[in-house]
Amino acid sequence: MTYKAIIADDEKELRTYLKSILSEIWPELTICGEAQNGKEALELVESERPQIAFLDIRMPGLSGMEVAKKIAGLCRIVFVTAFDQYAVEAFEKEAVDYLLKPVSKERLIQTIQRLKNQLNSSSEPPARMAEVIEQVLSKLSGRGEASFLRWIKAQHKDSIRLIPVEEADYFKAEDKYTLVITKEGESLIKKSIKELAQELDPTQFWQIHRGTIVNISKIDKVSRSLTGRGILKLKERPELLTVSRNYLHLFKQM
Amino acid sequence: MDAHYITPRKVLKDLVYTIIISAVIAAFLTFTGITTKSFVIVLIVSQSFGVSIYSIIHFLFWVFKPEKMASVVFIVMIGIAGGTLLGLQIGSFVLLRIFSIVFWQQEKGLLQTIILAVVFGSVASYFFYSKARLRVSQEEIQQERIKRLSSEKEALEANLRLLQAQIEPHFLFNTLSNVLSLIDTDPANGKSMLLDLIHYLRTSLSRTFPDTITLDQEIDMIKAYLNIQKIRMGERLHFKIELSDAIRQHPFPPMLLQPLVENAVKHGLEPKMEGGEIMIKAIQEDNLIRIEVIDTGFGFSSSHKAGVGLGNVKERIKLLYGEKGRLILEENKPNGVRAIIEVPTHDVQGYHS
Repeated sequence: MTYKAIIADDEKELRTYLKSILSEIWPELTICGEAQNGKEALELVESERPQIAFLDIRMPGLSGMEVAKKIAGLCRIVFVTAFDQYAVEAFEKEAVDYLLKPVSKERLIQTIQRLKNQLNSSSEPPARMAEVIEQVLSKLSGRGEASFLRWIKAQHKDSIRLIPVEEADYFKAEDKYTLVITKEGESLIKKSIKELAQELDPTQFWQIHRGTIVNISKIDKVSRSLTGRGILKLKERPELLTVSRNYLHLFKQM
Repeated sequence: MDAHYITPRKVLKDLVYTIIISAVIAAFLTFTGITTKSFVIVLIVSQSFGVSIYSIIHFLFWVFKPEKMASVVFIVMIGIAGGTLLGLQIGSFVLLRIFSIVFWQQEKGLLQTIILAVVFGSVASYFFYSKARLRVSQEEIQQERIKRLSSEKEALEANLRLLQAQIEPHFLFNTLSNVLSLIDTDPANGKSMLLDLIHYLRTSLSRTFPDTITLDQEIDMIKAYLNIQKIRMGERLHFKIELSDAIRQHPFPPMLLQPLVENAVKHGLEPKMEGGEIMIKAIQEDNLIRIEVIDTGFGFSSSHKAGVGLGNVKERIKLLYGEKGRLILEENKPNGVRAIIEVPTHDVQGYHS
């Protein structure tokens, strides 16, 4: 029986290279399609029903891992990657087939031998793959931090500035929008202070007043006014900010 | 902790000083014969003036927390005046009740006492003021030292990170795979890709950067990088570089522009299925060079983490040019990012390498 395979990689030259060494060491294998992104790979698997898919991990659109999750059980998967330390570690552990770029002939021969054994012994590709990928993905994404707001898109004259949140000194409510105050000046964000409060990292930004959120790394000192509210002095700004009673507890430990 | 901050310890220390100073004044007045009253009586009066002035000034400081010199002087004057009046009351009350002595029988004695209180009150206040100033200026010197040391450290760290952050293994291995493939399919192209890689690596790996190169040299290196990416991405990447010959001759710090281009490729175009275009242009305005790297890529999603590269560029601009240089990031219309570097044409400050 002859087998069919697809190759998915966003770099044309690398698809050509893999195809050429495959044809050398496994001439009976038919490459029934090439995909240059995850979406095309998915479509190819649907239409061509190959037994094997070589999937580059980093592809625009859908990544190789996301494609694998969707086609698990449909065909055998071999991941191809230039450098994904953590994924490779996980593949090793779960005995998932993978190739490192540049692909070496020796390694490819090994992989093909294994594929042939699997294809000859059992006709069903393991559906367990989806589970394994899910595990690997969750391990990988667990490495990243929670996704708080990191960039502010603020109107500045006739353009939209991208300001890293850590540069904001503080935010001030302005009608239904919000002013962001940085070293460079004030700009307007088309978001209410309430929305912002939910999106910002609460370990970095504190709401200190109904209309004010402050970047805590920019606070110089806090003092009490006679009326019992807090007065905040910032490091690089002349103006003082008021901490209303409801938020004073935030500073109790300072 | 802020220098003006009043702690209970300091308040107590000042009170002890006040009592000692008042005692010294009483002794001085008695033994020089300025007053003929007995030492005990003078001491009681002097203490009631001293402690009254001390209390009023400290109370006012606690309430108003003055920051400006003028308000400090004003509070001290009020303190001396009010303290003198209060001291007068307390002193005569104590003498009358405990010792049954009427202290001020004549107007002349009263006036003399008030004058003495004001004079010594002022002298003592000045003593406290100089003490505080000495402490503040010592703290300032300390702060200044810490600031200087940490900015030197920052400069070193920024350079270290610059060296570490540059070469991405993914880029390197993918490029080498391409070269390997091209050796069979298109050797001439493979050769030029390898040469571009060598050019790129030589610059990014060098451990000692020259202080400045020309903008032309930096652009040359960026071109090598983009040529490599062009082979990898094919039709998904287009680039244009528009710089006049005159502007290319300007001195420019190495590896300052390159991270912006790399960022545009990595986060803008590579993840976008249809790819896009990168445009690099520069103009000179007065004493400023403004270089723009514009891509039509993905743009920054709002939770996208600020890359190490951009942070480094920002930090280096600050170290090199202070307030005169800056990095601005804008949204490009209709999509992508516009990164703008503005640096002065001259006076590059000491670049720590």
